[in-house]
Formats: sequence, C-alpha cells, structure tokens
Amino acid sequence: MKQDLYEKIVTYIIENQNNFYRLAYCYVQNQEDALDVVQNTACKVLEHYESLRNEDAIRTWVYKIVVNEILRFLKEKNKIRLLEENEQMELSYEEKAFDIQEDLYTQINHLDVDEQNIIKLRFYEGLSLKEIAEITEVNLNTVKAKLYRGLRKLKAVIRPDDIETY
Amino acid sequence: MNRMEDAKRKYAEGPIPAELSERVLQEVEKANRRRKYIIVRHSTKKLMRRGLAAVAVLAVVFAVGLNTSTAFAGAAADIPIIGGGARVFTFRSYETKTDDLKISVHIPGIDMISQEFSELEVSVNTEIHALCQAYADEAVKRAEEYRQAFMDTGGTEEEWEAHNIQIKVWYEVKAQTEEYLSLAIMGAENWSSAYSKTRYYNFDLREGKIITLKDVLGEDYAQLAGESIRLQMKEREESGGVEFFDEELPEVNESTAFYMNEAGHPVIAFEKYEIAPGAAGPQEFEIVQ
Repeated sequence: MKQDLYEKIVTYIIENQNNFYRLAYCYVQNQEDALDVVQNTACKVLEHYESLRNEDAIRTWVYKIVVNEILRFLKEKNKIRLLEENEQMELSYEEKAFDIQEDLYTQINHLDVDEQNIIKLRFYEGLSLKEIAEITEVNLNTVKAKLYRGLRKLKAVIRPDDIETY
Repeated sequence: MNRMEDAKRKYAEGPIPAELSERVLQEVEKANRRRKYIIVRHSTKKLMRRGLAAVAVLAVVFAVGLNTSTAFAGAAADIPIIGGGARVFTFRSYETKTDDLKISVHIPGIDMISQEFSELEVSVNTEIHALCQAYADEAVKRAEEYRQAFMDTGGTEEEWEAHNIQIKVWYEVKAQTEEYLSLAIMGAENWSSAYSKTRYYNFDLREGKIITLKDVLGEDYAQLAGESIRLQMKEREESGGVEFFDEELPEVNESTAFYMNEAGHPVIAFEKYEIAPGAAGPQEFEIVQ
C-alpha cells in the first residue's frame, strides 16, 4: 500500500516536472533558481510523502509544496515585501497602472503574490479554483475575490467560462 | 486574440533545461536509497518466498527441458564451453509488443559441466529466473500505473503511445575464465532510470560456489575495498571527471554489488545516481590488492 503510494508519487513528479519547472521559472525568472526550487520540491515531496493521507490528493498536495517552495525562495531572496507593507503598496501599484507596452505575461508577474498564485495556477496550470483554494489554504470565496481583483487590474479579456468552470 | 492565451503560450513555450530531469532523478534516487534501508528486509523476504514457490516447479521444468527437448539441448550445446567448467546460455527469451508497450526478456541459465555442482546450478537458475520474471512483471505493472496516472492527468491516447515504453531484461557475461564465471543480469525501463537494476552472479568454478568479496579479498575486505574506492574517487575528482555526492560512501558489505573481471579482480559497481550525478554514469572500481 505504502509502496504503491510512493511509486505513484515518483511517477507523478517525473511526469509533471516540466510543469513545476515552468511554474517556478515564471516566479523566479532564472534557470538555476527554478531548478533549485524544483529539486527542493522533489526532495520534500519524497521525504514527506507518508504524511499524504488521501491518495487522490497527490496533485494538490504536490502543488502546495511547489508553491510553498517558490514563496520560501522569494522570501529568502527578499524579493517580496513583508505582508503588511504589501497591503499598503497595493494602492499605489494600481494607480500607477500597467505599462501598456508590457504583455500580459509580464503584467501578471507584477501582481501581488496572492493574485499571481491564483492566476498562474488557474490559467497556466489549469487547476480548478477549488484545488487552488486547497493549495493556498484559503476558502473558495476568497480565491474568487482575489482572482477577480487580479483580473480587474489586468483588464484582460477573459472568457467568463475560464473563471466559472471548476 | 485572447491576451490570456498569449500569456499562457509564452509561459508554456519557456525552454526546459536538460538538467531538470537529472535533478529530479537525483532526488528520486536519494529517496530510493533511503527507502532501501527500510524495506530491504521486507522485500527480500517476499522475493525469497516467491523464489521458493517457484523452485519446485522450475526445477522440474529445467531438468525436463535439458534432457528431453532436443531443440533445447541443442541450443545449449551450440554454445562453446570457454574456459572452465560452465557455460551461460539463454534459458528463456521472449518478446512481446502491444500498441504502447514493448517487452524484451532474455533470461540466462548456467550450465555447470560437473555433475557435482548440479545442485548449485538448479538453485541459481531458479533464482535468476524468478528474479528476471519478477522484474519484468513489476515493470509492466509500473508502466500500467504510469499510463493510468498519465491519462488521469489529462493525457491522450496518442500522446501516451508516443512514450514508446520499453522494458528490457538481459544479461552480459562479465568474465569467464578457468576459475571464475561472472554474470550481470540487468533490467531497465526506458521511461525512468529510477528503476534500473543490475544483479551480479559470480561463481567459483573450481569450488562450485558463489564467490563473496570476502573470498577474494580476505577477512578485512570491507576496509580494503573502502580505502581503494575512496582513493579512486579522489583521483576521478581531481582529474576533473566526476563530482561525487557529498554523503558518506555506502559501506562495503556482503551485499555490495560486484563482478569479477577477466584479470580475476573484483570490480565494485555502483549504479547510476548511486554515488554520483547521473551524467557521470555508473561508477565502477576495480579492487587490486
């Protein structure tokens, strides 16, 4: 039983390593750092796989670790401001508006981290909002609110069903 | 054009460095090694049980096969006897190919010339057969699980077929001299090197028994081999070829994998990723006294 779970997890991370790498890369914007993040993720996943109680939750569980590793990395690099500061910075950010010349990909990377997480997981990785709620450990309504707030900032043309299907 | 689609494309088109899979496999290997200490007892027992159950059946099949089937006996007789009193032949071989899976299995058998050693011959052949079969069966199961996981996460039938999964079990004669017969039996899956396995069988043809490192190197074989390995590792590092992992070298003991080379020296063989990054390949150390 445990053997099976272990092998499932190994298979899962080998099969999805490119996704984890891409996700890491779009935050850290550097190959070496993204490789480190993925390797640390693999290490943590394989060290702690026994704490995964529900086999069906492999995907959300692994993504949670990927996201945590990314955020931990960014924190260590002092690339994100402390949370309180972040709240205050937000307004000025929004008022500055985005450079119209920038493409959406770059604009997303300028969002506040919570909004980035949700948008990247939803649109890049194709996870459901429910899964994202589990990964980011906030409730579904908060996920939705933050998603809409992020999208409003982006003023992107988003198909409604992109948001509603989960 | 939807701007989100553009962003997504830019995201998905980002290059994946070749190093990625190696870095992930490093972690898998590390975890495999950690787990080996925990489960090795358990699985050895299981394998032994399975092996014993097969003994009765196989001993009969093998005896009958050699004596009564002319095709079988003929095939065995075709192989010249090199060196001492034993030869290696393909005991059983089969290949199957389905749409998405190719399996090729060549199971070796040992033929000891001296009747005195027939007991060893049967027990070894039985063990080898069980080992190869178990590997092939597990590999098929793993491939099926991989397929399931791939489909569950949104893969398509065509994408899966493109994986071209292959499972292979085969053998190599490492050395055959008057004194020794050394055989490597290998199992590999092309989709993941994490499960590759090599098992060595070394026979003393004069005594009719399996050789241990202790037999070749003496009582303090562990220390002797350990020192020699560390020395050779240092040389390889200094010549700039290989960067070994920082962890402590696994202790040399009775279960350390080795084979005999033609010169009659034991060669300790570490699998890929075991003590060095995969790019460095498997690391082997000839121990010369």
